[in-house]
Amino acid sequence: MTISRVEIVTSMSKLEDLRIELSKVGVTGMTVLQALGCGVQKGAMEFATKENKIMELLPKQMIILYVPAEKVPKIEDVVKKCLYTGHIGDGKIFVSDVTDVIRVRTGEDGADALT
Amino acid sequence: MEKKLGLFSVVSTGVGLIVATTCLMSLCQGAASIGGMFIVSIVLACALNMITAASLAELNALMPNLTGGLAQYTLAGLGPFVTLVSMVGGYIVCNALMAPSEGAMFGLAIKELTGVGIPASVISVALTAILIVINLFGVDMFAKIQNVVAFLLIGSLLLLGVIGAVGAGTGAEVSQSFALTDNVMDGVNMAAAAFWLFIGVEFIIPIAKYVDNPRRNIPLGMFLSLGIICVIQIVMVLGLYHYTGWSALAASDTPHILYGISLLGNVGKAWIGLVTVLAAISTQNSVINSITKICYGMAKMNMLPSLFQKTNRRGAPYIGILIYGTVILLIEATGLASASSLSFMILVASVFWMVSYIISHINLLVLRRRLPKAPRTFKLPFGPVIPLIGIAGMVYMVVNISTDPAQRAAILTIDAVIFVILAIYAALWSKFKLRMPLFQPLSLEKVMAMEHPAYFQLRQEAARKQREQREKERQVQSHSV
Repeated sequence: MTISRVEIVTSMSKLEDLRIELSKVGVTGMTVLQALGCGVQKGAMEFATKENKIMELLPKQMIILYVPAEKVPKIEDVVKKCLYTGHIGDGKIFVSDVTDVIRVRTGEDGADALT
Repeated sequence: MEKKLGLFSVVSTGVGLIVATTCLMSLCQGAASIGGMFIVSIVLACALNMITAASLAELNALMPNLTGGLAQYTLAGLGPFVTLVSMVGGYIVCNALMAPSEGAMFGLAIKELTGVGIPASVISVALTAILIVINLFGVDMFAKIQNVVAFLLIGSLLLLGVIGAVGAGTGAEVSQSFALTDNVMDGVNMAAAAFWLFIGVEFIIPIAKYVDNPRRNIPLGMFLSLGIICVIQIVMVLGLYHYTGWSALAASDTPHILYGISLLGNVGKAWIGLVTVLAAISTQNSVINSITKICYGMAKMNMLPSLFQKTNRRGAPYIGILIYGTVILLIEATGLASASSLSFMILVASVFWMVSYIISHINLLVLRRRLPKAPRTFKLPFGPVIPLIGIAGMVYMVVNISTDPAQRAAILTIDAVIFVILAIYAALWSKFKLRMPLFQPLSLEKVMAMEHPAYFQLRQEAARKQREQREKERQVQSHSV
Protein backbone atom coordinates (compact mmCIF):
# COMPACT_ATOMS: atom_id res chain seq x y z
CA MET A 1 0.00 0.00 0.00
CA THR A 2 1.43 3.40 -0.95
CA ILE A 3 1.53 6.24 1.50
CA SER A 4 1.06 9.94 0.76
CA ARG A 5 2.12 13.04 2.57
CA VAL A 6 -0.51 15.78 2.62
CA GLU A 7 0.66 19.26 3.59
CA ILE A 8 -1.93 21.92 4.20
CA VAL A 9 -0.87 25.53 4.52
CA THR A 10 -3.64 27.77 5.79
CA SER A 11 -4.40 30.68 8.09
CA MET A 12 -4.24 30.37 11.85
CA SER A 13 -7.98 30.24 12.47
CA LYS A 14 -8.94 27.03 10.72
CA LEU A 15 -7.20 24.36 12.80
CA GLU A 16 -10.07 23.49 15.11
CA ASP A 17 -12.62 22.68 12.41
CA LEU A 18 -10.02 20.84 10.38
CA ARG A 19 -9.02 18.69 13.36
CA ILE A 20 -12.64 17.65 13.90
CA GLU A 21 -13.38 16.99 10.21
CA LEU A 22 -10.18 14.99 9.63
CA SER A 23 -10.92 12.85 12.68
CA LYS A 24 -14.31 12.00 11.14
CA VAL A 25 -12.68 10.58 7.98
CA GLY A 26 -10.29 8.33 9.86
CA VAL A 27 -7.06 10.33 9.84
CA THR A 28 -5.06 8.81 12.69
CA GLY A 29 -2.50 11.51 13.26
CA MET A 30 -1.41 14.99 12.34
CA THR A 31 1.51 17.32 12.87
CA VAL A 32 0.92 21.07 13.09
CA LEU A 33 3.64 23.65 12.67
CA GLN A 34 3.29 27.36 13.19
CA ALA A 35 4.75 29.06 10.17
CA LEU A 36 5.32 32.34 8.39
CA GLY A 37 4.60 32.55 4.70
CA CYS A 38 2.87 34.10 1.73
CA GLY A 39 1.43 33.07 -1.61
CA VAL A 40 1.04 34.76 -4.98
CA GLN A 41 -0.29 37.96 -3.38
CA LYS A 42 3.07 38.37 -1.64
CA GLY A 43 1.28 38.83 1.67
CA ALA A 44 -0.94 41.71 0.54
CA MET A 45 -4.37 41.76 2.18
CA GLU A 46 -7.26 41.17 -0.22
CA PHE A 47 -8.67 44.64 0.47
CA ALA A 48 -5.31 46.34 -0.24
CA THR A 49 -5.16 48.73 -3.20
CA LYS A 50 -1.76 47.55 -4.43
CA GLU A 51 0.17 44.30 -4.47
CA ASN A 52 3.30 44.20 -2.31
CA LYS A 53 6.56 44.60 -4.20
CA ILE A 54 8.49 42.66 -1.60
CA MET A 55 7.05 39.54 -0.04
CA GLU A 56 5.52 40.07 3.37
CA LEU A 57 5.29 36.99 5.54
CA LEU A 58 2.05 36.37 7.38
CA PRO A 59 1.39 33.97 10.24
CA LYS A 60 0.21 30.63 8.88
CA GLN A 61 0.07 27.07 9.97
CA MET A 62 1.24 23.97 8.20
CA ILE A 63 -0.63 20.77 8.89
CA ILE A 64 1.14 17.60 7.84
CA LEU A 65 -0.64 14.28 7.41
CA TYR A 66 0.70 10.88 6.38
CA VAL A 67 -2.13 8.78 5.04
CA PRO A 68 -2.75 5.77 2.80
CA ALA A 69 -2.81 7.01 -0.80
CA GLU A 70 -6.36 5.75 -1.41
CA LYS A 71 -7.67 8.06 1.30
CA VAL A 72 -6.16 11.16 -0.30
CA PRO A 73 -9.13 12.12 -2.58
CA LYS A 74 -11.55 11.96 0.37
CA ILE A 75 -9.19 13.95 2.58
CA GLU A 76 -8.67 16.55 -0.15
CA ASP A 77 -12.44 16.97 -0.47
CA VAL A 78 -12.93 17.34 3.29
CA VAL A 79 -10.06 19.83 3.62
CA LYS A 80 -11.22 21.90 0.63
CA LYS A 81 -14.76 22.16 1.97
CA CYS A 82 -13.57 22.87 5.48
CA LEU A 83 -11.10 25.59 4.55
CA TYR A 84 -13.14 27.25 1.82
CA THR A 85 -14.39 30.78 2.45
CA GLY A 86 -13.79 32.22 -1.02
CA HIS A 87 -11.35 34.74 0.43
CA ILE A 88 -7.69 35.07 -0.45
CA GLY A 89 -5.65 33.10 2.06
CA ASP A 90 -7.85 30.03 2.27
CA GLY A 91 -4.68 27.99 1.76
CA LYS A 92 -3.11 25.31 -0.38
CA ILE A 93 -2.86 21.55 -0.24
CA PHE A 94 0.29 19.77 -1.38
CA VAL A 95 0.31 16.00 -1.92
CA SER A 96 3.46 13.95 -2.42
CA ASP A 97 4.53 10.30 -2.24
CA VAL A 98 6.28 8.81 0.75
CA THR A 99 8.60 5.84 0.26
CA ASP A 100 8.30 4.45 3.76
CA VAL A 101 7.11 5.07 7.31
CA ILE A 102 8.59 3.28 10.32
CA ARG A 103 7.11 3.19 13.82
CA VAL A 104 10.18 3.24 16.02
CA ARG A 105 8.55 1.62 19.06
CA THR A 106 7.48 -1.57 17.27
CA GLY A 107 9.55 -1.49 14.13
CA GLU A 108 6.41 -1.73 11.97
CA ASP A 109 6.74 -0.10 8.57
CA GLY A 110 4.63 0.97 5.61
CA ALA A 111 0.87 1.29 6.12
CA ASP A 112 1.09 -0.79 9.32
CA ALA A 113 2.95 2.06 10.96
CA LEU A 114 -0.01 4.35 10.38
CA THR A 115 -2.66 2.24 12.07
CA MET B 1 -18.79 33.17 23.18
CA GLU B 2 -21.94 34.39 21.43
CA LYS B 3 -24.57 31.69 21.11
CA LYS B 4 -25.23 30.76 17.52
CA LEU B 5 -28.68 30.39 16.00
CA GLY B 6 -30.01 26.87 15.52
CA LEU B 7 -32.24 25.46 12.80
CA PHE B 8 -35.39 26.44 14.72
CA SER B 9 -34.32 30.10 14.81
CA VAL B 10 -33.44 30.02 11.11
CA VAL B 11 -36.88 28.62 10.25
CA SER B 12 -38.73 31.07 12.51
CA THR B 13 -36.77 34.01 11.09
CA GLY B 14 -37.37 32.74 7.56
CA VAL B 15 -41.10 32.26 8.04
CA GLY B 16 -41.34 35.65 9.74
CA LEU B 17 -39.52 37.37 6.89
CA ILE B 18 -41.51 35.73 4.15
CA VAL B 19 -45.01 36.20 5.55
CA ALA B 20 -46.33 39.76 5.32
CA THR B 21 -49.83 41.13 5.69
CA THR B 22 -50.22 41.56 1.97
CA CYS B 23 -49.88 37.78 1.73
CA LEU B 24 -53.31 37.49 3.37
CA MET B 25 -54.75 39.72 0.69
CA SER B 26 -53.08 37.79 -2.15
CA LEU B 27 -54.20 34.47 -0.70
CA CYS B 28 -57.82 35.55 -0.30
CA GLN B 29 -57.98 37.15 -3.75
CA GLY B 30 -56.38 34.12 -5.39
CA ALA B 31 -58.82 31.79 -3.65
CA ALA B 32 -61.71 34.08 -4.58
CA SER B 33 -60.82 33.77 -8.31
CA ILE B 34 -60.57 30.00 -8.70
CA GLY B 35 -61.62 28.57 -5.33
CA GLY B 36 -59.80 25.50 -4.01
CA MET B 37 -57.87 25.14 -7.29
CA PHE B 38 -55.68 27.94 -5.92
CA ILE B 39 -53.96 25.19 -3.91
CA VAL B 40 -52.37 24.07 -7.21
CA SER B 41 -51.05 27.64 -7.68
CA ILE B 42 -49.74 27.68 -4.10
CA VAL B 43 -47.90 24.37 -4.47
CA LEU B 44 -46.41 25.39 -7.83
CA ALA B 45 -45.28 28.80 -6.57
CA CYS B 46 -43.78 27.14 -3.49
CA ALA B 47 -41.92 24.58 -5.64
CA LEU B 48 -40.46 27.32 -7.84
CA ASN B 49 -39.40 29.30 -4.78
CA MET B 50 -37.78 26.17 -3.35
CA ILE B 51 -35.75 25.86 -6.55
CA THR B 52 -34.71 29.49 -6.13
CA ALA B 53 -33.81 28.78 -2.50
CA ALA B 54 -31.68 25.85 -3.66
CA SER B 55 -29.84 28.02 -6.20
CA LEU B 56 -29.28 30.67 -3.54
CA ALA B 57 -28.00 28.02 -1.15
CA GLU B 58 -25.41 26.91 -3.71
CA LEU B 59 -24.38 30.53 -4.34
CA ASN B 60 -24.14 30.99 -0.58
CA ALA B 61 -21.88 27.91 -0.39
CA LEU B 62 -19.64 29.44 -3.05
CA MET B 63 -19.63 32.91 -1.49
CA PRO B 64 -20.36 32.36 2.19
CA ASN B 65 -20.90 34.98 4.87
CA LEU B 66 -21.89 37.84 2.60
CA THR B 67 -24.31 40.43 3.87
CA GLY B 68 -25.46 41.68 0.47
CA GLY B 69 -26.50 38.33 -0.92
CA LEU B 70 -28.03 38.75 -4.36
CA ALA B 71 -26.13 41.97 -5.16
CA GLN B 72 -22.77 40.36 -4.55
CA TYR B 73 -23.63 37.16 -6.41
CA THR B 74 -24.71 39.23 -9.40
CA LEU B 75 -21.64 41.46 -9.28
CA ALA B 76 -19.48 38.32 -9.46
CA GLY B 77 -21.71 36.59 -11.98
CA LEU B 78 -22.88 39.22 -14.44
CA GLY B 79 -21.15 42.53 -13.66
CA PRO B 80 -22.26 45.96 -12.45
CA PHE B 81 -24.99 46.74 -15.01
CA VAL B 82 -27.20 43.77 -14.15
CA THR B 83 -26.43 44.24 -10.45
CA LEU B 84 -27.60 47.83 -10.53
CA VAL B 85 -30.75 47.04 -12.51
CA SER B 86 -31.69 44.01 -10.40
CA MET B 87 -30.76 45.47 -7.05
CA VAL B 88 -32.22 48.92 -7.58
CA GLY B 89 -35.16 47.32 -9.38
CA GLY B 90 -35.55 44.16 -7.39
CA TYR B 91 -35.24 45.71 -4.00
CA ILE B 92 -35.50 49.43 -3.84
CA VAL B 93 -38.25 49.94 -6.42
CA CYS B 94 -39.98 46.72 -5.45
CA ASN B 95 -40.06 47.68 -1.80
CA ALA B 96 -41.13 51.21 -2.71
CA LEU B 97 -44.21 49.49 -4.10
CA MET B 98 -44.57 46.98 -1.26
CA ALA B 99 -44.33 49.45 1.63
CA PRO B 100 -47.36 51.52 0.53
CA SER B 101 -49.29 48.26 0.06
CA GLU B 102 -48.62 47.43 3.70
CA GLY B 103 -49.65 50.96 4.67
CA ALA B 104 -52.84 50.55 2.70
CA MET B 105 -53.58 47.26 4.44
CA PHE B 106 -53.15 49.08 7.75
CA GLY B 107 -55.51 51.88 6.68
CA LEU B 108 -58.17 49.44 5.50
CA ALA B 109 -57.90 47.31 8.64
CA ILE B 110 -58.20 50.31 10.98
CA LYS B 111 -61.19 51.60 9.02
CA GLU B 112 -62.84 48.17 9.12
CA LEU B 113 -62.15 47.67 12.84
CA THR B 114 -63.11 51.11 14.14
CA GLY B 115 -65.55 52.23 11.49
CA VAL B 116 -64.04 55.77 11.45
CA GLY B 117 -65.06 58.06 8.63
CA ILE B 118 -61.49 58.97 7.63
CA PRO B 119 -60.33 57.69 4.21
CA ALA B 120 -57.99 54.67 4.46
CA SER B 121 -55.30 56.54 2.49
CA VAL B 122 -55.16 59.26 5.16
CA ILE B 123 -54.69 56.62 7.87
CA SER B 124 -51.86 54.97 5.92
CA VAL B 125 -50.16 58.33 5.26
CA ALA B 126 -50.32 59.10 8.99
CA LEU B 127 -48.74 55.73 9.83
CA THR B 128 -45.91 56.22 7.33
CA ALA B 129 -45.24 59.76 8.58
CA ILE B 130 -44.95 58.47 12.16
CA LEU B 131 -42.64 55.64 11.08
CA ILE B 132 -40.44 58.06 9.14
CA VAL B 133 -40.04 60.26 12.25
CA ILE B 134 -39.30 57.23 14.44
CA ASN B 135 -36.70 55.97 11.98
CA LEU B 136 -35.12 59.43 11.77
CA PHE B 137 -34.54 59.14 15.50
CA GLY B 138 -32.54 56.00 14.74
CA VAL B 139 -34.98 53.76 16.58
CA ASP B 140 -36.06 50.45 15.13
CA MET B 141 -39.24 50.21 17.16
CA PHE B 142 -39.90 46.59 16.25
CA ALA B 143 -36.37 45.22 16.46
CA LYS B 144 -36.98 43.53 19.78
CA ILE B 145 -40.47 42.26 19.15
CA GLN B 146 -40.16 41.45 15.43
CA ASN B 147 -40.14 37.72 16.12
CA VAL B 148 -43.15 38.03 18.45
CA VAL B 149 -45.11 39.84 15.75
CA ALA B 150 -44.07 37.24 13.18
CA PHE B 151 -45.12 34.40 15.48
CA LEU B 152 -48.40 36.13 16.21
CA LEU B 153 -49.11 36.42 12.50
CA ILE B 154 -48.08 32.89 11.59
CA GLY B 155 -49.66 31.29 14.66
CA SER B 156 -52.88 33.19 14.01
CA LEU B 157 -52.93 32.20 10.35
CA LEU B 158 -52.41 28.56 11.24
CA LEU B 159 -54.99 28.57 14.04
CA LEU B 160 -57.58 30.45 12.00
CA GLY B 161 -56.90 28.12 9.08
CA VAL B 162 -57.19 24.95 11.17
CA ILE B 163 -60.37 26.15 12.92
CA GLY B 164 -61.88 26.83 9.50
CA ALA B 165 -60.57 23.66 7.86
CA VAL B 166 -62.02 21.35 10.52
CA GLY B 167 -65.27 23.30 10.69
CA ALA B 168 -64.84 24.36 14.32
CA GLY B 169 -65.81 28.02 13.80
CA THR B 170 -68.78 29.66 15.53
CA GLY B 171 -70.09 31.17 12.28
CA ALA B 172 -72.33 29.46 9.75
CA GLU B 173 -70.61 27.14 7.29
CA VAL B 174 -71.05 28.00 3.64
CA SER B 175 -72.11 25.39 1.15
CA GLN B 176 -70.26 25.95 -2.12
CA SER B 177 -68.29 24.03 -4.72
CA PHE B 178 -64.67 23.47 -3.67
CA ALA B 179 -63.15 24.75 -6.89
CA LEU B 180 -64.52 27.36 -9.27
CA THR B 181 -62.84 25.62 -12.20
CA ASP B 182 -62.08 22.03 -13.18
CA ASN B 183 -59.16 23.01 -15.34
CA VAL B 184 -55.83 22.44 -13.57
CA MET B 185 -54.22 24.87 -16.01
CA ASP B 186 -56.21 27.68 -14.38
CA GLY B 187 -54.39 26.81 -11.17
CA VAL B 188 -51.06 26.76 -13.01
CA ASN B 189 -51.77 30.14 -14.60
CA MET B 190 -52.54 31.66 -11.20
CA ALA B 191 -49.10 30.66 -9.84
CA ALA B 192 -47.91 34.24 -10.32
CA ALA B 193 -50.59 35.44 -7.89
CA ALA B 194 -49.43 32.84 -5.35
CA PHE B 195 -45.77 33.79 -5.88
CA TRP B 196 -46.15 36.76 -3.53
CA LEU B 197 -46.94 34.37 -0.67
CA PHE B 198 -43.41 32.99 -0.75
CA ILE B 199 -41.07 35.82 -1.67
CA GLY B 200 -38.23 36.91 0.53
CA VAL B 201 -36.51 33.59 1.20
CA GLU B 202 -33.20 35.23 0.27
CA PHE B 203 -33.43 37.42 3.38
CA ILE B 204 -32.26 34.37 5.35
CA ILE B 205 -28.81 34.50 3.72
CA PRO B 206 -27.45 37.53 5.62
CA ILE B 207 -27.99 35.76 8.95
CA ALA B 208 -25.75 32.84 7.81
CA LYS B 209 -22.78 34.16 9.76
CA TYR B 210 -24.74 33.97 13.03
CA VAL B 211 -25.99 30.44 12.40
CA ASP B 212 -24.62 27.22 13.83
CA ASN B 213 -23.58 24.80 11.04
CA PRO B 214 -24.76 27.18 8.28
CA ARG B 215 -23.83 24.71 5.55
CA ARG B 216 -26.67 22.48 6.69
CA ASN B 217 -29.00 24.87 8.45
CA ILE B 218 -29.26 27.63 5.82
CA PRO B 219 -30.47 25.48 2.90
CA LEU B 220 -32.59 23.32 5.21
CA GLY B 221 -34.00 26.42 6.93
CA MET B 222 -35.00 27.94 3.59
CA PHE B 223 -36.76 24.76 2.42
CA LEU B 224 -38.53 24.24 5.75
CA SER B 225 -39.69 27.89 5.91
CA LEU B 226 -41.21 27.64 2.43
CA GLY B 227 -42.75 24.24 3.21
CA ILE B 228 -44.33 25.46 6.45
CA ILE B 229 -45.77 28.53 4.73
CA CYS B 230 -47.12 26.32 1.94
CA VAL B 231 -48.95 24.13 4.47
CA ILE B 232 -50.35 27.16 6.33
CA GLN B 233 -51.65 28.72 3.11
CA ILE B 234 -53.28 25.44 2.00
CA VAL B 235 -54.99 25.10 5.39
CA MET B 236 -56.19 28.71 5.07
CA VAL B 237 -57.73 27.95 1.65
CA LEU B 238 -59.59 25.02 3.22
CA GLY B 239 -60.80 27.36 5.98
CA LEU B 240 -61.95 29.93 3.44
CA TYR B 241 -63.84 27.18 1.55
CA HIS B 242 -65.81 26.23 4.65
CA TYR B 243 -66.71 29.67 5.96
CA THR B 244 -66.54 32.37 3.28
CA GLY B 245 -68.31 32.47 -0.05
CA TRP B 246 -65.86 32.83 -2.92
CA SER B 247 -67.88 35.71 -4.41
CA ALA B 248 -68.06 37.54 -1.04
CA LEU B 249 -64.29 37.19 -0.73
CA ALA B 250 -63.80 38.66 -4.20
CA ALA B 251 -66.02 41.64 -3.39
CA SER B 252 -64.29 42.55 -0.10
CA ASP B 253 -61.52 45.14 0.28
CA THR B 254 -60.35 43.31 3.41
CA PRO B 255 -61.11 39.66 2.61
CA HIS B 256 -59.03 38.32 5.51
CA ILE B 257 -61.06 40.33 8.02
CA LEU B 258 -64.22 39.06 6.33
CA TYR B 259 -62.94 35.52 6.93
CA GLY B 260 -62.30 36.35 10.61
CA ILE B 261 -65.89 37.59 10.96
CA SER B 262 -67.39 34.61 9.11
CA LEU B 263 -65.36 32.19 11.22
CA LEU B 264 -65.59 33.57 14.75
CA GLY B 265 -67.82 36.65 14.56
CA ASN B 266 -66.56 39.74 16.37
CA VAL B 267 -63.83 37.80 18.14
CA GLY B 268 -62.48 36.71 14.77
CA LYS B 269 -62.73 40.26 13.44
CA ALA B 270 -60.79 41.68 16.38
CA TRP B 271 -58.23 38.85 16.26
CA ILE B 272 -57.36 39.08 12.59
CA GLY B 273 -57.69 42.88 12.63
CA LEU B 274 -55.17 43.23 15.43
CA VAL B 275 -52.77 40.86 13.73
CA THR B 276 -53.11 42.76 10.44
CA VAL B 277 -52.45 46.11 12.10
CA LEU B 278 -49.40 44.89 14.03
CA ALA B 279 -47.96 43.04 11.07
CA ALA B 280 -48.54 45.95 8.67
CA ILE B 281 -46.75 48.37 11.02
CA SER B 282 -43.94 45.92 11.56
CA THR B 283 -43.48 45.18 7.86
CA GLN B 284 -43.60 48.80 6.76
CA ASN B 285 -41.24 49.77 9.55
CA SER B 286 -38.75 47.09 8.64
CA VAL B 287 -38.95 48.03 4.96
CA ILE B 288 -38.18 51.70 5.73
CA ASN B 289 -35.44 50.63 8.13
CA SER B 290 -33.78 47.96 6.02
CA ILE B 291 -34.07 49.47 2.56
CA THR B 292 -32.44 52.72 3.65
CA LYS B 293 -29.66 50.59 5.13
CA ILE B 294 -29.32 48.70 1.83
CA CYS B 295 -29.16 52.09 0.05
CA TYR B 296 -26.49 53.16 2.54
CA GLY B 297 -24.50 49.97 1.81
CA MET B 298 -24.89 50.38 -1.94
CA ALA B 299 -23.76 54.01 -1.73
CA LYS B 300 -20.70 52.75 0.17
CA MET B 301 -20.03 50.36 -2.72
CA ASN B 302 -20.35 53.40 -5.02
CA MET B 303 -23.49 52.02 -6.62
CA LEU B 304 -25.84 54.79 -5.50
CA PRO B 305 -25.23 58.54 -5.03
CA SER B 306 -23.14 59.27 -1.93
CA LEU B 307 -25.92 61.33 -0.34
CA PHE B 308 -27.49 58.02 0.75
CA GLN B 309 -24.47 57.64 3.06
CA LYS B 310 -25.32 60.76 5.04
CA THR B 311 -26.32 60.01 8.59
CA ASN B 312 -27.69 62.28 11.29
CA ARG B 313 -26.45 62.59 14.87
CA ARG B 314 -28.35 59.46 15.82
CA GLY B 315 -26.74 57.40 13.07
CA ALA B 316 -29.88 57.19 10.91
CA PRO B 317 -29.32 57.52 7.14
CA TYR B 318 -31.69 60.49 7.10
CA ILE B 319 -31.47 61.46 3.44
CA GLY B 320 -32.35 57.91 2.45
CA ILE B 321 -35.20 57.77 4.97
CA LEU B 322 -36.59 61.10 3.77
CA ILE B 323 -36.36 60.26 0.06
CA TYR B 324 -37.73 56.78 0.50
CA GLY B 325 -40.40 57.92 2.96
CA THR B 326 -41.56 60.64 0.58
CA VAL B 327 -41.94 58.14 -2.25
CA ILE B 328 -44.04 55.87 -0.02
CA LEU B 329 -46.14 58.81 1.18
CA LEU B 330 -46.77 59.98 -2.39
CA ILE B 331 -47.91 56.54 -3.53
CA GLU B 332 -50.18 56.23 -0.49
CA ALA B 333 -51.59 59.73 -0.90
CA THR B 334 -52.70 58.90 -4.44
CA GLY B 335 -55.33 56.69 -2.81
CA LEU B 336 -54.20 53.23 -3.76
CA ALA B 337 -55.98 51.85 -0.72
CA SER B 338 -58.35 49.59 -2.57
CA ALA B 339 -58.11 45.87 -3.01
CA SER B 340 -57.85 45.92 -6.79
CA SER B 341 -55.05 48.49 -6.98
CA LEU B 342 -53.26 46.73 -4.14
CA SER B 343 -53.21 43.42 -5.99
CA PHE B 344 -52.12 45.31 -9.11
CA MET B 345 -49.19 46.84 -7.21
CA ILE B 346 -48.28 43.47 -5.76
CA LEU B 347 -48.16 41.93 -9.24
CA VAL B 348 -46.05 44.85 -10.58
CA ALA B 349 -43.60 44.30 -7.71
CA SER B 350 -43.68 40.52 -8.19
CA VAL B 351 -42.25 40.87 -11.70
CA PHE B 352 -39.17 42.65 -10.30
CA TRP B 353 -38.74 39.92 -7.76
CA MET B 354 -39.14 37.19 -10.39
CA VAL B 355 -36.51 38.87 -12.56
CA SER B 356 -34.14 38.96 -9.55
CA TYR B 357 -34.68 35.24 -9.07
CA ILE B 358 -34.08 34.54 -12.77
CA ILE B 359 -30.81 36.47 -12.45
CA SER B 360 -29.88 34.36 -9.41
CA HIS B 361 -30.30 31.16 -11.43
CA ILE B 362 -28.19 32.66 -14.24
CA ASN B 363 -25.53 33.68 -11.70
CA LEU B 364 -25.39 30.09 -10.53
CA LEU B 365 -24.90 28.74 -14.06
CA VAL B 366 -22.28 31.39 -14.92
CA LEU B 367 -20.28 30.79 -11.74
CA ARG B 368 -20.45 27.02 -12.20
CA ARG B 369 -18.94 27.45 -15.64
CA ARG B 370 -16.29 29.88 -14.43
CA LEU B 371 -15.33 28.07 -11.25
CA PRO B 372 -16.18 24.41 -11.87
CA LYS B 373 -13.69 23.11 -9.32
CA ALA B 374 -14.37 25.52 -6.44
CA PRO B 375 -15.45 23.48 -3.41
CA ARG B 376 -19.17 23.82 -2.76
CA THR B 377 -20.60 22.44 0.44
CA PHE B 378 -24.02 22.50 -1.18
CA LYS B 379 -24.48 21.73 -4.86
CA LEU B 380 -27.70 21.22 -6.75
CA PRO B 381 -27.78 17.81 -8.42
CA PHE B 382 -28.53 17.06 -12.12
CA GLY B 383 -26.25 19.76 -13.57
CA PRO B 384 -28.05 22.77 -15.03
CA VAL B 385 -31.47 21.06 -15.14
CA ILE B 386 -32.92 22.44 -11.87
CA PRO B 387 -31.82 26.08 -12.35
CA LEU B 388 -33.14 25.91 -15.94
CA ILE B 389 -36.50 24.65 -14.64
CA GLY B 390 -36.42 27.55 -12.17
CA ILE B 391 -35.76 30.05 -14.96
CA ALA B 392 -38.50 28.55 -17.16
CA GLY B 393 -40.97 28.66 -14.26
CA MET B 394 -40.20 32.29 -13.46
CA VAL B 395 -40.45 33.31 -17.13
CA TYR B 396 -43.80 31.49 -17.35
CA MET B 397 -45.05 33.41 -14.31
CA VAL B 398 -43.85 36.74 -15.71
CA VAL B 399 -45.61 36.03 -19.01
CA ASN B 400 -48.77 34.94 -17.13
CA ILE B 401 -48.52 37.57 -14.41
CA SER B 402 -52.28 38.14 -14.62
CA THR B 403 -55.10 36.11 -16.11
CA ASP B 404 -56.71 39.34 -17.33
CA PRO B 405 -54.98 40.32 -20.64
CA ALA B 406 -55.56 44.06 -20.15
CA GLN B 407 -54.14 43.97 -16.61
CA ARG B 408 -51.22 41.82 -17.79
CA ALA B 409 -50.39 44.34 -20.52
CA ALA B 410 -50.57 47.22 -18.03
CA ILE B 411 -48.33 45.44 -15.50
CA LEU B 412 -45.72 44.48 -18.07
CA THR B 413 -45.76 47.99 -19.58
CA ILE B 414 -45.17 49.63 -16.19
CA ASP B 415 -42.40 47.14 -15.41
CA ALA B 416 -40.81 47.67 -18.84
CA VAL B 417 -40.81 51.46 -18.39
CA ILE B 418 -39.23 51.18 -14.93
CA PHE B 419 -36.66 48.70 -16.26
CA VAL B 420 -35.73 51.07 -19.13
CA ILE B 421 -35.26 53.95 -16.66
CA LEU B 422 -33.18 51.67 -14.42
CA ALA B 423 -31.12 50.45 -17.39
CA ILE B 424 -30.30 54.04 -18.40
CA TYR B 425 -29.30 54.81 -14.81
CA ALA B 426 -27.23 51.63 -14.56
CA ALA B 427 -25.46 52.24 -17.88
CA LEU B 428 -24.58 55.87 -17.04
CA TRP B 429 -23.58 55.04 -13.47
CA SER B 430 -21.36 52.09 -14.51
CA LYS B 431 -19.68 54.11 -17.25
CA PHE B 432 -19.10 57.44 -15.52
CA LYS B 433 -19.14 56.73 -11.81
CA LEU B 434 -17.96 53.16 -11.38
CA ARG B 435 -15.83 53.41 -14.54
CA MET B 436 -16.26 49.74 -15.17
CA PRO B 437 -17.29 47.85 -18.31
CA LEU B 438 -21.03 47.23 -18.05
CA PHE B 439 -21.01 43.48 -18.32
CA GLN B 440 -17.60 42.59 -16.94
CA PRO B 441 -18.06 40.52 -13.81
CA LEU B 442 -15.79 41.11 -10.83
CA SER B 443 -13.61 38.31 -9.57
CA LEU B 444 -15.02 36.38 -6.66
CA GLU B 445 -12.24 37.42 -4.30
CA LYS B 446 -12.71 41.10 -5.17
CA VAL B 447 -16.41 40.92 -4.38
CA MET B 448 -15.56 39.08 -1.16
CA ALA B 449 -12.92 41.69 -0.32
CA MET B 450 -15.56 44.42 -0.64
CA GLU B 451 -17.13 43.05 2.54
CA HIS B 452 -14.13 44.27 4.51
CA PRO B 453 -14.67 47.77 5.92
CA ALA B 454 -11.06 48.67 5.05
CA TYR B 455 -11.70 48.07 1.33
CA PHE B 456 -13.52 51.34 0.73
CA GLN B 457 -11.64 53.30 3.38
CA LEU B 458 -8.35 52.51 1.63
CA ARG B 459 -9.74 53.40 -1.78
CA GLN B 460 -11.25 56.64 -0.56
CA GLU B 461 -7.94 57.48 1.06
CA ALA B 462 -6.06 56.68 -2.18
CA ALA B 463 -8.50 58.79 -4.22
CA ARG B 464 -8.10 61.70 -1.79
CA LYS B 465 -4.31 61.51 -2.02
CA GLN B 466 -4.53 61.39 -5.81
CA ARG B 467 -6.74 64.48 -5.83
CA GLU B 468 -4.33 66.32 -3.51
CA GLN B 469 -1.41 65.32 -5.70
CA ARG B 470 -3.16 66.59 -8.83
CA GLU B 471 -4.04 69.83 -7.03
CA LYS B 472 -0.40 70.35 -6.04
CA GLU B 473 0.77 69.67 -9.58
CA ARG B 474 -1.74 72.22 -10.91
CA GLN B 475 -0.55 74.82 -8.43
CA VAL B 476 3.10 74.22 -9.34
CA GLN B 477 2.25 74.55 -13.04
CA SER B 478 0.32 77.80 -12.53
CA HIS B 479 3.25 79.27 -10.49
CA SER B 480 5.76 78.35 -13.15
CA VAL B 481 3.61 79.99 -15.87
